[in-house]
This record gives sequence, C-alpha cells and structure tokens, in this order.
Amino acid sequence: MITAQAIFIGFFGIAAVWFGVVVFRTFSMVRSAIALLFSQTALGAMFLTMEVEFLGVLQIMMMATEMSIMAIFMVMFMMDPGGMGEMDMTHQKQFSLTAGFISFVGAVAVAVFIDWGPVSTVAVDSVEQTKALGFELLDRSMLIFEMAGITILTAMIAATAVAIKPASKTSQPKSSSTAHGDHQHKEQSK
Amino acid sequence: MTSLLILLSLAFGVYLLAVLEAWIVNGRFQLSRPVYSALALLGRESIIPRKPDLLFFETGPIILLIAALLAAAVIPLAPGFIIADLATGALFLNAALAYVLVALIMAGWGPNGAYAMIGGWRFLGQLIAYAMLIVMPITAVAMRAESLVTTEIVLSQSAVWNIFYQPLGFALFFIASMGLAFMPPFDMPTAKSELAGGVEAEYSGFRLAIFRLGRMVLVITLAAATVTFYLGGWHGPGLAPWVWSAIKILLVTAAMLLVGKYLPRIRESDLLAWCWKLGIPLALINIFIVGILLVVIP
Amino acid sequence: MSVELIWSLITGAALFGVGIYGALSQTNLVMIMMGVELILAGALLNMVAFFRYLHPDVAAGQMFVLIIMTVMALEMAVGFGVAIARFRYKGSVEMEEAAELKD
Repeated sequence: MITAQAIFIGFFGIAAVWFGVVVFRTFSMVRSAIALLFSQTALGAMFLTMEVEFLGVLQIMMMATEMSIMAIFMVMFMMDPGGMGEMDMTHQKQFSLTAGFISFVGAVAVAVFIDWGPVSTVAVDSVEQTKALGFELLDRSMLIFEMAGITILTAMIAATAVAIKPASKTSQPKSSSTAHGDHQHKEQSK
Repeated sequence: MTSLLILLSLAFGVYLLAVLEAWIVNGRFQLSRPVYSALALLGRESIIPRKPDLLFFETGPIILLIAALLAAAVIPLAPGFIIADLATGALFLNAALAYVLVALIMAGWGPNGAYAMIGGWRFLGQLIAYAMLIVMPITAVAMRAESLVTTEIVLSQSAVWNIFYQPLGFALFFIASMGLAFMPPFDMPTAKSELAGGVEAEYSGFRLAIFRLGRMVLVITLAAATVTFYLGGWHGPGLAPWVWSAIKILLVTAAMLLVGKYLPRIRESDLLAWCWKLGIPLALINIFIVGILLVVIP
Repeated sequence: MSVELIWSLITGAALFGVGIYGALSQTNLVMIMMGVELILAGALLNMVAFFRYLHPDVAAGQMFVLIIMTVMALEMAVGFGVAIARFRYKGSVEMEEAAELKD
C-alpha cells in the first residue's frame, strides 16, 4: 500500500543514493564533500519521515558539521580542490565496481527474500521516544554510555597527539646525516 | 494562518533590526532607510565573477535564508503561536543553525575569489569555537525543563527566569550566538576593513540583498532563541504575551548590536583559545551546577 | 510486507554498495574516508528501519544508532589526525605511495 510516507521515503532515498554517486563522479573536491553532506541530510530527512525524530535531527546536525570539516581537509590535502584539472584519481576500478555491485545485490537479496515478521505501522510518539532513549541511556546502557565517553576522550587525545607538530628549538631533521652536515657547514663558515 | 502571522512578525522584526543597525552604526535614526537601501541593492548591477562555481555561488545565500527561517519555525512567540511544535524543538534549532556554516562555505568557495574563500574558511574556525558553547547551555536549559519542546522550556520559567537560574549559561549562549550570526566583534567572515567584505565581497545586486536578508533573519532568530531559553519567553505582567516577546527580542537585539559597537574584532586564534580553554569548562560547570540545583531545590 | 521497510533496506544496500565502490577505488585517503562514511550511513539506515518497523518499543535500537554515529565521528577524527601526520612527512596523502613501509 503506497502511503504518503512511502512516497517521501522513496524520494529521499533516491536523493541520498544520487548524492552518494555524485561524490565519486565529480572532479571538484569541495563539491564532493558538499554532495556527501547532502546525502547524509537526505538520510536525516528519511529518518524524520519515518517519525524517528530525535535520530533524524541528530543526524542532520552532526553531519553538517562533520562534512564541512571534511571539505576543509580536502582543500588542505588535495592537489586540485577545484577540479579544474579533471584528473582521474582512481585505481582498480573494475574490481571495486564488481565488489560494490555484488554487495548491493547480496544485501537486496537478503532484504527481499526474508520474512521479517509483523511490521508495526504506528510509530511511538516522539516525546515518548526521546524519553525512552534517555532512560535507556542512563539506566540499562549506562556502561556502554560511559565506555563511549572514555573512547571519545581517548580518540581526541590520540588524534591531537598524532597531529601536533613536535615543538623543539631546532626543527627535527628526518635523518641524522643532515644534522652532521649542518654542524660541519656551520664550523666551516665561522 | 499562524505561520503567516509569524512570518509577518519576523519580517517586521527584520525591518526594525535594519533600522536599529543603521542607527547604531551611522548615528541617524531613519525609519525609511531599509526601504531605500533594499531598492538600491535590487536596482544595482549584479556582477558575476569570472569562472565561479555557479552551483555554490547561487545556492549559498538561499541556504542561509532557508536555515534561518527553519530555525525560526520552532520558536514560540506566545502560547500556541508557533509554526512547528516539534518534540525535539531545541535540538532542531541547533540542527537548522548548523546549515549557516554550509551556506557560508558555499558562499565562500563559489565566487572563485581569495577574499571570499578566506572568509568562508574563517567561519569554519569560528564554528569550532562556538559550537559547544551553544549546545551545552541548551542542554542545561533542557535539563531544567525536562523536555526539548520549546513551549515546555518557556513554561518551566514561569517562576524564575533562566537568566537568574543559570547566569553562566546565559553569558555563554549570548556570546556564542553573536559568533554564530557573525556579528561584530566576531565578524571575521565578513570583515569590512580587513577582507574587503569577506564572504560578501563578490556578491552584488539581488544576491547580496538575499544574503543580507538571511543574515538579519538569523540575528532575529538567535535573539528570539535567547529570549525563549533564558528570558522567559512571553512571561511578563500586564501586557499581552506577544507584546512581551516582541519587546524582549528587540532589547536582546539592541544589546547584541551595542556590544559589537564597542569591542574590537577578535582574532581567530584568540577566539579558539578562549572558547576551548575557558568556555567549555565553564559550560560543563554550568551543567553541573544546574544539576545540583535541580536536585536540591524541590 | 510493508513497502517502506523494503524500500529503506534497498536504499541502505545501495548506499553500502556505493560506499564500497568508493572505498576501494579511490587513491586519496580523504576520498577513502568518504567511502567509509557512506558504508556506515547505509548500516545506520538499516538499523533505523529495523528499529522503527520491527521493534519500535525497544529503545536499545536508538542506542545502537547513537553508537554508530559516534563511531563515524571518531574514525573521521582519528583518520584526519593520521592524514595530517602523513602529509607533514611526505607532502601528500595518496595511498598508492603508502603501499610500502620504506619511503
């Protein structure tokens, strides 16, 4: 039975997949990052249509910030962020196409050919859902919540420690021979 | 019907904000000035830079306007006078305001110009500074109201306004919302004298008009959010609820503009250092204090 | 069999497939990470569809979704930290040059 909800879920689903394909088809790097952002936003809109309100709003909020940060890292690291050079930066294309296609077909086969049991057509009220999530978070899954918190802290410290430039008086040379070369050069020029 | 009334009052608020801003910046109070400057902007030539990223160039200001309007949709101006009463209203406000960043990045990258691009990426740095300072005070406010529904948040302040209950949260939210709306002293993205206008530099004509309109709607929305979360919404003796809302929103807007007039522009590195080293511990302390107060006071 | 559930699962499978194509075919670390984000997004959609249509009263489904979102943010953060270190050492983050441990 095609309800309005099904039509909207279909529309947002097609938008999410289309933006996901644009990510890898475009030459401009910033467009790629922003396309990924809109793909995740379409996903968040799907969640909102399914009346899972808290997760939808959370997805939209988090992904906007994350993908923008990905955009700036693109601009920092890629050699052609504007895409005007139109370079093709892929390898093993045939293999990855087959792998992607096989996984898609496998997942669709699992989805279509399994009897999922009784499907509930009425969603829980949004306020009750948020309340239930809050109780679940702090009552039954408290251990998971705290472990997640500590994991986030560890990841933050680790990422910062890896990315910090070593602060020393002279910049660290890559190999020791240049240090000797510097010393000799200084002695000779005195 | 309600939506139309709210949009009309939003337009009226934007008009008054334009008059206020012109008064504070120029020193002259002219009620007809926004009409003249809007007509001038719409009549001017629309210069398109050479080789822009057309998709981003056109879409940037529109997304700014849409993000600000979506954020204004969950703000209650009077009991029952709200466009969309979502069950996660306070969080949706935050989600819509995250798209201001997307809009500014698009507006910065699109015109293919150095000043615009620097302005856009500076806003990303600002976002990293103020993002936590917006979310954590909202968390403390929602703790007191025991709900994320914005109407509930206003109703929970009927005894004591949140500005007296959580003054630390109010200070952080006020500063962070000025950073989000890139108002002076946090106007790194559109620095008038430094970046030749920054993100606004390459826009002219009606696109600039939409950009400025989006920014003003954003300022009014953030002032309305401050009033909803901290200043008791529509509570007040005597006058009708929507009159109190209007007065409070205009007062908060005037306060934001006045603060900007008297402080110098803050550098990116200073802003990040202060917000992360001082602001986030203060926000966490605020949540802790509110938790203790909620348990102790019956 | 409800149309919405099947369609959500198919969309999740499509996102997963596109993500695997991206993660395997790109040479740049940042693009590979984008592929991984798409894979996780597909898994997220499936999880939410199962929660909403099959077990709407089990709040642990929402908890799982929160954990997946946290993992998405974390792997991006740590990945970008590694990318910064690699870029500082070598000047590029192309993964084909990183195939051997020696420089």
